[in-house]
Order: sequence, then C-alpha cells, then structure tokens
Amino acid sequence: MSRMSQISVSVFHFLRKHREFRTFGFLIALFVIVGIFNASYLTPDNMENSVRSSVVYIIMATGMTFVLLTGNIDISVGGVLGLSAAVSATIVRNGGSIVTAFVAVIVIGLIIGLLNGLGVSVLKIQSFILTLGMNEVLRVVQVIFQGGRNVEGLPTSFQRITQHEILGVSTLSIVVILLVIGIHLFLSMNRKGRYFAAIGDKEEGAVLAGIPVKRYKIYAFMMSSVCAAIAGLIFASRIGNNIPTTAGLGYEMTVIAACVLGGVSLAGGVGSVLGATIGAIFMTSISSALVFLKVDAFWKDVISGSLLILIVVFDMLLIHRNNQKAKKQRLNARVLEIRKEM
Amino acid sequence: MQRLMKNTLRSSRWNLFLVLILILELVIFGQMNDRFLRVDTLLNSFDNFAGIAIIAFFVTFVIITGGIDISGGSIVGLASVITGILYQVAGWNIWLAAAAAIIASGLCGLLNGLLIAYVGVQAMIITLGSMLLFKGLAILLFGLSGVSVAEGISKFPTEFTDLAHIKLFGVIPMYLAVFAVMLLISYLLLHRTRYGRYIYLIGINPNTARYSGINTKRIIASTYVLSGFAAGISGVLLTSYLWSARAEFGETYLMPMLTAVVLGGTLITGGKGGVIGTALASIIVGFLQLGLQLGGVQSQYTGLAVGLLLIVSVVVLGVSGMNLRIKGVLNVKKDRGGNQNA
Repeated sequence: MSRMSQISVSVFHFLRKHREFRTFGFLIALFVIVGIFNASYLTPDNMENSVRSSVVYIIMATGMTFVLLTGNIDISVGGVLGLSAAVSATIVRNGGSIVTAFVAVIVIGLIIGLLNGLGVSVLKIQSFILTLGMNEVLRVVQVIFQGGRNVEGLPTSFQRITQHEILGVSTLSIVVILLVIGIHLFLSMNRKGRYFAAIGDKEEGAVLAGIPVKRYKIYAFMMSSVCAAIAGLIFASRIGNNIPTTAGLGYEMTVIAACVLGGVSLAGGVGSVLGATIGAIFMTSISSALVFLKVDAFWKDVISGSLLILIVVFDMLLIHRNNQKAKKQRLNARVLEIRKEM
Repeated sequence: MQRLMKNTLRSSRWNLFLVLILILELVIFGQMNDRFLRVDTLLNSFDNFAGIAIIAFFVTFVIITGGIDISGGSIVGLASVITGILYQVAGWNIWLAAAAAIIASGLCGLLNGLLIAYVGVQAMIITLGSMLLFKGLAILLFGLSGVSVAEGISKFPTEFTDLAHIKLFGVIPMYLAVFAVMLLISYLLLHRTRYGRYIYLIGINPNTARYSGINTKRIIASTYVLSGFAAGISGVLLTSYLWSARAEFGETYLMPMLTAVVLGGTLITGGKGGVIGTALASIIVGFLQLGLQLGGVQSQYTGLAVGLLLIVSVVVLGVSGMNLRIKGVLNVKKDRGGNQNA
C-alpha cells in the first residue's frame, strides 16, 4: 500500500513538475479519439503534417514563452508577423534574395522588440497595454506598406523554404524542432537561461540576486518579436502568393492559448518552450481533426472553443484533486511519524 | 482622511488629463474642419462607438477584479443571431426575441463567470475559448436553421429597426441615450454601492477580501454576467441599427474595447480604475476616428492614431508614475532613519 502511494505520489510530482507531459497526454488522447473515427488520422504522414502546419505557431509560441516567463505578455506578435510577411514578400518580389529578406525581417523584429522591451523595463509601462497599442500601430504600418493591396507576383522559389524535404520529412520542421530542444535546454539548464523564469517568479528577488532584470526583460521581448518576424517570413512563404493585409490577424490570441495549454503560466516564472510547442501542435491539430471527422464547417469554432475550455477546466480539476490527495497523504505521514515517536 | 483625498486626487488627475485630451481634440479637429464642431455631428457620432463603450463599462468591472473578458465581441454576434433566428425562424414576437437574446448573453457571461470564479482557470484562457465558442454558436445556429451565413437575416419589422434610429426629444440619438443610461448604472454600481467596493477590494487583494467574509467567487462571477448582459444589449442595438442579424457582428470590437478600458486609466492587473475614465476614453477614441474621417483619412488608417494615442498616454502615465516612485524611494529612506533612531 505504502509503495503504491509512493508511486502515485511520485507520478503526481512528475506530472506537477512537468505540466507539458500532461498536455502531451491530451494531444495523444486527441489523436486516439479522432483515430477511432478515422484511422488515416493516425498515419505518420498526418502526424508529420500536423507538425508541419503548426511551425508558424511553434516559432511564435517559443518566443512568447520568453516574455511570459518574465511575467509579461506580448500582444504585438500578430502585427509583427503581418509586417514581416509583407516586407519579406515585397523584398523577394522586387528581386531581392531570400537571405536579404531574412536579414530585413530579423532587423524588424529586433527593433520592435527593443521598443517593447524599453517601454516595459525602463518606462515601466504595463506590457499588455504597450504591446496592444504596438499591435494596432503595426497593423496600420503594414497596410500603408502594402498600399492597401495584396503583395502579388511572388517567384515560386520563395515557396521552396517551406517545401524542402529530407526523406519525405519537412526540413523546416526538423530545424525548428531541433532549435526548440536547444532553447529548452538553454532555458532549463543554463544559468543565464534560468534568469528569465527567475525574473517572473519574483522580480525583487531577481534584483537582489544580482540578475540584470531590465536587460533580460528587453532580451525576452526581442526574442519574442524576432521569433514572430521569422514566423512572418515562413507564413509568407507558405501562402506563396497574394499576401493579404490581414496576415496574422488574431494570431496573438492563438499563440497565447497554445502557451497556456502547454503549461506556461500567465503570471510568470512557470513553463517551458517544449510545453508551448506541444500546445501549438495541439491548437492546429484540433482544426485538422475536424477535417478528418468530416463535420460540417460551421461546427469548427464551436468544437475548438469547447475543447479548449474543456481541457483547461479538466486540467484544473485534476490539479485540485491531486493537491487534495497530496495534502491528505502528507497529513497521514505526519500522523504516522508522531505515533512512531510516541 | 488626508490620504483618501490624495488618492482621489491622483485617480481624478488621469480623468482630468483625459478631459484635456478631449478638449485638445475638439480644438484641433474643429480648426481642421468646421463640420466637426456641429452638435448633431458630435451627437450622431455616438452611433459608431457607444456599442463598444457599453460593453467596456462592464469589462472595466471585470478588469478591476483582476480578470479579463475578451469574449464580448462574440456575444454581440451571438445575440444578434439569436434575435434574428427567434424572430424569423421560430416566429417569436420581435421584442420577446430581443429579450431572449439579452438573457442568453447573460447566460454566456454566467458560463464564463462560473468557470473562472469557481473552477479557478485563468480568465484570459476561458474567455479566449468562449470567444471561439460563442462565435461558433452563432455560425452554428445559422447553419442549423438553414439561413445563409453570408446573407444574414434582414427582414425585421420597422418598429424594431427604428429603435436604434429614434431621436429622443428630437436631438438625442438612441445610442447616446443608452450610453448615458449604462454609464449611470455602472457608475452607481461601481462607485456608490458596497458591491462596487467589494469589486475593488477583490482586485487589490483577493485573499484579504475572502478572509473578511466577502463571497469573492460570487462577486467575480457576477462581473462576467454583467459584461455578458451589456454585450447582449449592444448586439440587439446593432441588429436594430444595421437592420440585419449577422454572426460576424462585434468581431472588431475587442481591441477598441480594451483600448477604452486601458486608456481610461484602469489597471490591467486589477484593483484600480473606474467607469468615468472608460467613458471619457471611448469618447476620445470615437471623436478621434470621426475627426480623422472628416479630415479625409481612410478608416483603415485610423488604427495608427488610436494605437499611438494609447502608447503615448501610457508613457505619460509611466513618467508621472516614475516621479511618484522617486518620491516613494526618498520617503522609505527617511523612514529607515527614523526607525534606527527609535
């Protein structure tokens, strides 16, 4: 009995410590349930496909995790994605190379991230408000940049970034997954990587521990904007032609939802990029699952909305129950100890 | 008592600042275009933003408790569709249909409130999910009733479509009247009742509020219900104003709504703010759009001005906050010296 309870305690500890594995469990459950109705959903091809189609979200969620870890939020990522999609597509259309477009996009991300970071850390503006305003501004800058029209006439070579494959697996997906693992190790193992979570956990504590809090907050915002900018380039390349002025509209909310599903706390200090990545894959898998379930299109939002709510509520109830159980176990253990001493 | 006076002055200073911006707007746009300063132009312009403002009043409640409600825009669309379907497909009396739509909106808010207050999931995530869910429900209702989503429902009786176009006493447009009534109700609730004080207390410190015997869960849930009701009223009014019921109504409300609340001086982390500020801010944003449109700026570019206004005003707020902080640091030093002497 005590061994059983020990195992259950350790399993609970593992799940509590590794929230991302719980999300992974939800993801597997989704695949299995949809697979029961339509076996072709479980093919490796489709699994590879769902990673491939969530690459844009994965990249954005990775950057967003840095900002969320420091206890801030970045609403401007949708605007950054739109602007960088427009800029990169225009550069490529006007005969520039993809490398030039990539550099331009990185510069855009760095500048916007720097502005956000300076505003939040130096001027002490609430990140929610600042990035909300920034998002509005960027949307209009994008419309002005495109002259209110779609960017048309892109060369087909532009699509090659997202279409390149090694052994039938998208090269881009492999690169992105490897980068995510690298960033995960940096954030969880490296001393400087741990700074981000430390700032979000307790800012005063981080200051007293000698962490350059302001600088690292700026880094976090720059990371988020650069990721969103790279995602914009990939977004443009995936669409291939006719980049609309509404590119990336509403993406910020999906990305934040993905992060939270993956166990990143909006209060800061808790979370991992691995979890955010699983969350991002989950968000895209929901919509692809609907295609496989062959439900009418008008069910789509109802199902994704209620699934999102059900999962977070279920997750919360699970935590409540486990907490209560753990509390009871701790109490029992203490009583036993006292009896032994007597 | 002196401290109370100081606090009141400090919060009303922001409102004073907003009034100054409003006067500045009137002067500048009045100079640019003499049509702007005509009373009926200004009064009629409420048609464009009062629908957003009445939701923003009650979202202010939600944000003061430390939550957030981003589902309001979707509830607008859902209320509109429910009104239309109950009237046209189910053959209800139009006023009964409108009342049912408003009650359904309140139930939508209740769902948000129960999940957030009683289950304890982060408000951002629940309302993000329900934003999808409610919008999806609106599309689903259209889909199930066989009415085309693109066409919408538009054969309403004239006494209903006239509702939003009535001019009270021949001058005051219906939207302005609703704006004023909702402002009065929300002002009285928030600033003149015990319920309102509880909302502030929960935002400042939920634990203290709970320990002092306040049913925090019920009060938090009630703020979401109020916000849902307000969105329902806004949806029915919009249906009447535009003579048709559509699922995509309210889709663009989210950002202007949050802008109004935040620009109005309400702290996004809760505990501070007020509806007067929200009302002033929504008028500022509305007049800004009107002035720019009269000045010949296309409506898709006005977002730039709104975003910049938001950023500039929070920078001003941040800088003035910094002065207070410097004073605070000096005071702390003095206190320490005092303690050592004692």
